[in-house]
Amino acid sequence: MKWIYRIISLIAAIFFLAPIVWMLIVSIKQEGMKIVTLVDWFTPPYSFAVYDEILSTTKLMNWTFNSFFVAACVTILTVAVAAMASFAISKIPFRYRTAMFFFVLAGLLIPGEAVIIPLYQVAKDMSILNSYQGLILPALASPVAVIVLKSFFDGVPNELVESVQIDGAGVWRIFWSIMLPLTRPALASMAILTFIGSWNNFLWPFLSVTDDNLFTLPMGIPTLMNQYSEDYVKPMVINTLSSLPILLLFIVFERQIVKGISLTGIKG
Amino acid sequence: MLALLFLLPFVLIYVLYTIWPMIKGIEMTFYKWTLIKKMSYVGWDNYNKMFHDREVWEAIWHSTLFVILTTPTMVVLAIVLALIANRKSRLRKLYRTVFFIPSVLSVAVASFLGLFIFQPYMGFVNTFLHLIRILPENSEIFWLTEVGLSWIAVSAITLWWTVGFNFILYLSAMQEIPDEIVEAARLDGANNWNVFWNVTLPHLSPITKTITMLQIIASFKVFLQIYIITGGGPLDKTRPIIQLIYQTGFRENDLGYAATMSYVVFVILLVLSAIQYWLNNRKEARA
Repeated sequence: MKWIYRIISLIAAIFFLAPIVWMLIVSIKQEGMKIVTLVDWFTPPYSFAVYDEILSTTKLMNWTFNSFFVAACVTILTVAVAAMASFAISKIPFRYRTAMFFFVLAGLLIPGEAVIIPLYQVAKDMSILNSYQGLILPALASPVAVIVLKSFFDGVPNELVESVQIDGAGVWRIFWSIMLPLTRPALASMAILTFIGSWNNFLWPFLSVTDDNLFTLPMGIPTLMNQYSEDYVKPMVINTLSSLPILLLFIVFERQIVKGISLTGIKG
Repeated sequence: MLALLFLLPFVLIYVLYTIWPMIKGIEMTFYKWTLIKKMSYVGWDNYNKMFHDREVWEAIWHSTLFVILTTPTMVVLAIVLALIANRKSRLRKLYRTVFFIPSVLSVAVASFLGLFIFQPYMGFVNTFLHLIRILPENSEIFWLTEVGLSWIAVSAITLWWTVGFNFILYLSAMQEIPDEIVEAARLDGANNWNVFWNVTLPHLSPITKTITMLQIIASFKVFLQIYIITGGGPLDKTRPIIQLIYQTGFRENDLGYAATMSYVVFVILLVLSAIQYWLNNRKEARA
């Protein structure tokens, strides 16, 4: 019985890993290889020639940079903006607090995809199509982040905030040196999930950017692939090159990513 | 006053890029509106056209079909993988990594992997099926050009690519089950199957509700996987609604009509999200 479990587990693991391993191996095969059976995919000769070619003749590195730059900006700003807003809703008493909360909550019901056509028009009116601002700004207001972070700020006891206030700390001090450090795991989780989300964001960059110097990876890859549909090696080199940075990041931050998903996923 | 200062950045961006487009979009539905400029007022024409447009309803059906294909399979697969990674084993950590790793790939990378894996003649899947003799030497399965098969291919790739997040949620829910309860059940003579059915599964039911609703919403918004793997074909038979909206707006240069279609998507997703929110809150109220 135990062996059956083990074998099923191993088969599942192989199935999950196989496409990635296949991608890596094919990327170092030689172009024009003959494939008759499955085994042929994995046997030598290997060659890195196509890597050189792709790196020197395409804008793939440029797009990887764009993806990182946009995702980093979106992550830092989204978390900062959401933390400030949720702190206000959670800990500063003001008149329209409940109304404000519901105003943000309503945003959870508005799917990005449904407003993307008018958003295109709005971005055009503001002349931010084809720019980094255009890629970054519309992604910054995340109601989910506000709601999730608010629930974590709510967990910080009001007495603690009041006692610090009596000691003469201003609101900004409370926010910066009490609230943020106390909710660091939640902030980190939010940051990681925002980063992955932005890294994968396709539809908005696809619509708002036409200048190929500003492409991010998800939209650059399809453009590039259209030129190389006959062979397997170039597409897999493109796939590999564009995945390596995020795979490395994942290996380094695996624990935090996994924790982040279980921490915010259940709350959200 | 101070609160306002803290809220200002969020509210400003939120109003400019979410609330305002939503209102602007309503205006757009009443116009003939091209990529270049606002043309003429057309009243309810876009709406009338849409209700009689077979393409729109077919596309909505395709998105719905994708929801039906991917939601139950996603839940079952995520639970099975979580069970595997939750078993006491030396490979436990490895399983967790392996099941999650596809989730960090970009949607474009996952889709192109799918496209090449499911090619006839040389593709990974067909050469594998040849190797284990399920598929005879001289025959091929054309995954991407037959409607039924291409749905299977697109769903399989989507499951592989996105199951990781749900798998982690289930895994952490399973790890929250107190050991004492499992031990007590075992003392009462329960076997593995009893424990799974009567202890584990009931414990997973709140998170299953959340995952199910989020998956329905996510699957309904499918676009790039299908766009890359089948292009919406053959003969538009797999084209989802988001792709149709994109094509109408940006290929046929009709933003007004595209905006009208987006409002249908909006209403559908609004209803789904409302259900999701209601389920979540009911859960908290009980706890």
